[in-house]
Amino acid sequence: MDKSLSLVHVKLLAFDLLSLAQSPPDTPTFSRDGVSLSRAEVLGVVVYREHKPGRFLKFAVDDGTGCVPCILWLNHATSPYFARQRPQGVRLIADVANGQASLLKLGAVARVRGRITSYRGAVQITASSVAVERDPNAEVLHWLDCLKLARRVYDRP
Amino acid sequence: MASSGAAVGSGTPVTLKELRPPSPLFADGASLRILGKLQEYSVETTIAMIVDGDASLKIDTQHLRDLSFRVGSMYQFIGELQIQPDNEAVLRARVGRNVDGLDLNLYYQSLQLVRQFQAERARFQST
Repeated sequence: MDKSLSLVHVKLLAFDLLSLAQSPPDTPTFSRDGVSLSRAEVLGVVVYREHKPGRFLKFAVDDGTGCVPCILWLNHATSPYFARQRPQGVRLIADVANGQASLLKLGAVARVRGRITSYRGAVQITASSVAVERDPNAEVLHWLDCLKLARRVYDRP
Repeated sequence: MASSGAAVGSGTPVTLKELRPPSPLFADGASLRILGKLQEYSVETTIAMIVDGDASLKIDTQHLRDLSFRVGSMYQFIGELQIQPDNEAVLRARVGRNVDGLDLNLYYQSLQLVRQFQAERARFQST
């Protein structure tokens, strides 16, 4: 079976995500036990946030096994990437991102999906979507999902 | 590119029953995540007392905003442990949340499974 997981958001516990190997260095390619990964989903308590309106929201989620640094870009009005796209669509994307940023309060439980990236050698997530979980059992269920997927799907046979 | 590298330590989940000497987590400055039922809360001192069975812990909540305290409700806190000269421990909470509705049996059993998995990965990566 092809074990390429580069097109899916892999659910990983923080300690597992933070120990991914970057190969080769300075490329957006990460691997876990030799399997390539590019996107991830993490869930944990927001324990840090730094908001620069119109630029970015840096935050970190703690799932009990580690603390994952994340960044949500909010620079839609100034980014050259978005300047090439339709203004109406960019405004919509910016509104969604700003709405997600406003929900990320310290102590909230956040489910973060995005690209695995690195900055100065440390793994981080460049968030594409963020949701705040209200169910007090959401984090436990995420732990169990991560364990089951690691053993049945992600681990090398 | 801006960094999202927040230098914040992860709070290791620990039960109140485990948090006593000689546990290595019963250490000044240890970053912990703890869970318990609110037994007392003082608005004047911002000190809360949580319990789990016959184990209890004081929580310094002075840094927590937007959290309302209801005696009898379940709370989870992440913060750093301070061991006072009389060997009494206080957790200086960085974040806290109400977790009424949490399935405690599922939480504690899952915590054991997560610890086993972490140990397995550590063994696998060292081979």
